[in-house]
Amino acid sequence: MKILELRNVNKIYDGSEVHVHAVNNISLDFEEGEFAAVVGPSGSGKTTLLNLIGGLDIPTSGTIIIDGTDLSLLKPSQLIDFRLRNIGFVFQSYNLIPVLTAKENVDFIMSLQKWPAEKRDARTMELLTAVGLAERVNSRPAKLSGGQQQRVAVARALASKPKFILADEPTANLDSKAAATLLEIMEKLNLEEKITFIFSTHDPRVVNMARRVITLLDGKVVSDEIRKKENKPA
Amino acid sequence: MIWSLSWKNVWRNKTRSLVVISAVTVGIISGVMIMGVMQGWIEQRMHDAIYNEVSHIQIHNKEYLGNEEPLFTVIRPEEVISSVEALPGVRAFVQRTKLTAMAATPWAATGLFIYGIDPEKEKSLSEIYKKIVPGAGEYIDKNKDGTILISDKTAEILKLKHYIITSGLFDRLGGRHIPYSVMEKLDSLKEVRFRSPKDFREALRSRLSKKELDKYGKILIDSALDYRIRSRIQITLTDSAGNPVQGTFRVCGIYKTTNTGYDQMSAFVNAGELASLCGTGKPMIHEIAVLLHNIEDAESVRRKLSSLPPGNVVSTWKDLAPDAAYMNDFMILYYFIIIGIIMFALAFGIINTMMMAILERTKELGMLMAIGMNRRKIFSMIMLETTFLTGVGAIAGMISGWLIVSMLGKTGIHFAGWGEGFEAIGFAAVVYPYITTEFFIFVILMVIATAVLSSVWPARKALKLNPVETLRTE
Repeated sequence: MKILELRNVNKIYDGSEVHVHAVNNISLDFEEGEFAAVVGPSGSGKTTLLNLIGGLDIPTSGTIIIDGTDLSLLKPSQLIDFRLRNIGFVFQSYNLIPVLTAKENVDFIMSLQKWPAEKRDARTMELLTAVGLAERVNSRPAKLSGGQQQRVAVARALASKPKFILADEPTANLDSKAAATLLEIMEKLNLEEKITFIFSTHDPRVVNMARRVITLLDGKVVSDEIRKKENKPA
Repeated sequence: MIWSLSWKNVWRNKTRSLVVISAVTVGIISGVMIMGVMQGWIEQRMHDAIYNEVSHIQIHNKEYLGNEEPLFTVIRPEEVISSVEALPGVRAFVQRTKLTAMAATPWAATGLFIYGIDPEKEKSLSEIYKKIVPGAGEYIDKNKDGTILISDKTAEILKLKHYIITSGLFDRLGGRHIPYSVMEKLDSLKEVRFRSPKDFREALRSRLSKKELDKYGKILIDSALDYRIRSRIQITLTDSAGNPVQGTFRVCGIYKTTNTGYDQMSAFVNAGELASLCGTGKPMIHEIAVLLHNIEDAESVRRKLSSLPPGNVVSTWKDLAPDAAYMNDFMILYYFIIIGIIMFALAFGIINTMMMAILERTKELGMLMAIGMNRRKIFSMIMLETTFLTGVGAIAGMISGWLIVSMLGKTGIHFAGWGEGFEAIGFAAVVYPYITTEFFIFVILMVIATAVLSSVWPARKALKLNPVETLRTE
């Protein structure tokens, strides 16, 4: 089932001295359950593309439709609410709330959606167990390693069962072991929860694991490769 | 979750938050103290004005208020008294003769009002009988003829009050209360008579060190004070026919209220004796003073007395002691000004702290917006943080302020050095601070208003952040 469509999307930064065509007429479709990597050299437009898909930035032209909703038709306040209910974010530098514990960080998204406490507790424990942090639920981010923090961030992104998760260079700040663990967890959750993951990355480990690889250069899609990989059992 | 997150955010930078909280605490303590002292003074002034000077209601001949001639007595007083007696809510009332007079001793003279009273009945309404200076005679006795009760100030003016270190006092104080080394310095003052406390204090100051004066000055001044009780005062006044009459009275006692202005102008004698002096047979009634059970009833009682015989006028305590009435009426304005100034000054510190907190958390706020925290929730979070920051300080300040005011309310604050000045305008030199529940409610409302207003600028700053840009920052 198609959950995301991009049609002739452009993003142009037109300053007084600089004119950058960061995303150049991109059209893409994403199906439910995809595990896709957006790759390309620095400045190729990966992060800009993810920001546009996530509704954080507005395209100069073109259309982005998520699960039948055209983002350009939403008011700013509706867009924030849409993001809350439909899109999960994983950031390069984790971006957890430092004063909250791992459990509270995951719970936060659901509490914003006013889920009942019992349902929130169950979902939080389920996700933290899935990312291997059942023993660290009451630890604050400062007491967790980088890999553990990013796993909490993945759990937070998944908390309210979004349509898809956008991960901007999720392994960039992790050592190889932590990165491998994180990727395994994300792939497992992708298969179990049937949630689409879209990464921007430089990391060859992520690229190797992806089942679809979209390559950007100077804001344009230069290749869109679908790989045949066997789904691992849950 | 927003409440919990806001509370935790307050304690991210403990030192910075504690500095602001301490500033708010000290500010609120200052406000509570200032208002406690003001409220104490106003309560004292109100109480003294009513129970020493004017009561709740007074009835006069209308002409008397503009021209205090003896002949302008209350019109048809029996009817007036019957009306007053019939009123519900009246605790006590008295009739007084009130005449302008000249009081003279061999050394000085002064003008004053001489009140002809029934001393025992007067006790049901006025607390003057409680204001007799210890060791300075006694209240008027109805059965003792020819006596007059004058104030400490009148005694000073008529030179019936002096300060003298007698040989007896010198021996009594030396060694036991004051070291001999100090007393020796005062040897040249022995048996020297000072007419005013100021002169005596100056004499002590010229002979003692500041430390000695601070330590022993009060006991010396109190011990050296002496009144010429039983001295004769010649009273000259005019009778109802306008003829001058004279009488001699012996001072039976000295009283002292907190209002030297009133004291200076008021002396009391038995009403019957004043009637004899004026040759009226029975006492003239120039003033009927009424004390009510409840001060709030004063205006309604005045309205009920509107049917008194024409030519009489009914005044409430607000007409008779307008200074106390104005202070009481404007109390809420004082609250607003004092607490308003304090909170206004504190708001700058609060805004500064919150702005720093926002700037430090730019990336985090961007992340919160990105993951779906809407503007209303971001605004609420910042506002709650500001409210917690201010509220903790305010609660600490109110509790501390209340404790301090409660303690000082029992011991009193002594403004001995400024006593004369305060008493000249009707305020006691010892104030007992006191705070009302209304004041605390007012402070809570002001704190909430300050917190909300102080949060607007930082919150607007936060709402203007662009998630894409902030997430790029390191």
